[in-house]
Amino acid sequence: MSGLDCRVQYPLAQYELAVDLSVKPGVTVLLGPNGAGKTSLLRLLAGLAKPRAGRIKLGDRLLFDAHKKIDLPPEQRRIGMVFQDLALFPHLNVRQNTAFGLSLRRLAKSAINQQVETMLDRLGISQLAERRVTTLSGGERQKVALARTLITDPHLLLLDEPTAALDPSARGAIRRWLHQILGELQIPTLLVTHDAEEVAWFRKRVAVIEKGQIVQRGSYHQLLREPQSDFVARFAGINLINGELREQGNEKIFLSSGGSQLQGIFEGVLPGPATLAVAPWEVALFAVPPGGSPQNVIPGRVIERIVLGDRVRVTLLSTEKLVAEISLKAWQQMGEFGVGTELYAVFKTREARVMNT
Amino acid sequence: MNRPRLFTLMLALAGLLLALLILLPIIALLLASSPGALLQLILRSEVQQALWITLLTSLLALPPIFLLGLPAAYGLSRINGKLRRILETLLELPMVMPPVVAGLALLLAFGRRGLLGGFLADIGLQIPFTLLAVVIAILFVVTPYFVRRCTLLFDGVDRKLEDAALLLGASPFQTFMRISLPLVRRGLAAEAIMTLAQGIGLFGTIILFAGNLPGRTQTLSLAIYTAFESDPQQAFSLGALLLLISLLLLTAVKWIAPQESTQ
Repeated sequence: MSGLDCRVQYPLAQYELAVDLSVKPGVTVLLGPNGAGKTSLLRLLAGLAKPRAGRIKLGDRLLFDAHKKIDLPPEQRRIGMVFQDLALFPHLNVRQNTAFGLSLRRLAKSAINQQVETMLDRLGISQLAERRVTTLSGGERQKVALARTLITDPHLLLLDEPTAALDPSARGAIRRWLHQILGELQIPTLLVTHDAEEVAWFRKRVAVIEKGQIVQRGSYHQLLREPQSDFVARFAGINLINGELREQGNEKIFLSSGGSQLQGIFEGVLPGPATLAVAPWEVALFAVPPGGSPQNVIPGRVIERIVLGDRVRVTLLSTEKLVAEISLKAWQQMGEFGVGTELYAVFKTREARVMNT
Repeated sequence: MNRPRLFTLMLALAGLLLALLILLPIIALLLASSPGALLQLILRSEVQQALWITLLTSLLALPPIFLLGLPAAYGLSRINGKLRRILETLLELPMVMPPVVAGLALLLAFGRRGLLGGFLADIGLQIPFTLLAVVIAILFVVTPYFVRRCTLLFDGVDRKLEDAALLLGASPFQTFMRISLPLVRRGLAAEAIMTLAQGIGLFGTIILFAGNLPGRTQTLSLAIYTAFESDPQQAFSLGALLLLISLLLLTAVKWIAPQESTQ
């Protein structure tokens, strides 16, 4: 399946959206701050809004061409979109929501039922089939929205901030799930987000949009190393620890240049030079090393402490330099420590993303 | 201490007076009649005829009101800006028109010497002073209210849901039939009853355009008017009967209508 090629212009309130973008099979992340024009771009691609000028081509089908006066309506574009607030049909249950797209086609009832079963099964939500969508949790609703879209066999998948509406505790699990499901598909997918953490899951192809323009394109790694705008630089505040991945028997281990032995997500990473990335908000701080589940523990000394509203940003120096962001409450409970305090930085194995360099 | 403030007391007083204003005549009307008298009334053939014409014309008006009103309301709720305001003003025109004037206007449009009189005579259709005239009168007066309320219903439907349906391959018509319409179904059921109630109560427009012919165009409202001239006691009883029908419909509306929004 070939991808999307688009070049569109569209006036927004503050500036003009002028985007030139191609999306190949697999996931491309479109990262940008709120108000950068991300959702507008998705609506243009989907045919819910009309570009002032430009061309949108999906595979060998021309969806929009300002010169040739081609403008396919949304229902003929074969583009699947998962809205930020999901837009599940409240008067239909999970099964009926999922079957909606197929029920519009001239298909036998039994064929539809069969496909719906398969799809619900594949996304692991068969047990929800008869539930009203208004009674589902955020994560479950997300899965239904994706099932409803995938069953129509879209040639392009648009995901608008897929985890923004979820509560933080559910976010991690849904991200992992989404990563796995999308990884199995070969549909060109454009995932829109303003959340740096989300990018860490889909880091092969990232495009950054700001004020209606694509300002940077590349892999996640390239972005972090050479941020070309303030916005990118800000989320480049993610901790990057250089080192290498070693294989010891069946086990893999990340050995930092400073000498720490760390665990992380090693899937698909080859032995050799590598970088471990962990977001500051995934790093917890303790006065004494905690036991229990497999975690990475790095002792260090506080060299900087900044209070930002209800968050406290703490920089810890040891063999590595590590930034942790904890809640103000947690900081107060730890006795409002200052510079010079000896602490243990702790982060979970599954929050540590490792990539080859 | 939290003493009730003067303004709160004023509001309560106004509310109380309004409640009295509404309830006093209603109670008086119900007291002027008795269950026995009502039963006797219903057994009389001319009353049955008037009741039948009242219900029949209101029910007959319902399908055209829905067929014309629903698409108009949906279309109206999907446009914005100046055009919408102009169209809404057009809808408000029959609402501010005194009912008697509406009756005259209908006569001048559909009457024998009216704008369409010649054409209607050619195809052998005489409208004034027929059952059809009663239905048209109801249509003319009630449809704008129906459209306005339905526009508000459709305004409450989240556009995202329609966008989602389009992207799943539904045509705009399929989206309307399978998403927008089912989402407002409770509200629509309530509107249907509301419309019946409005049609049943119509008087001025009907008496001018359809006349007051017992057994042909005389509805309950018109029967009350006739009875009041000769036998006031019968008019009171008929009034109580009509009031009970209206109360019944109102209860049905409250029972069906969604509590808050359309979702």
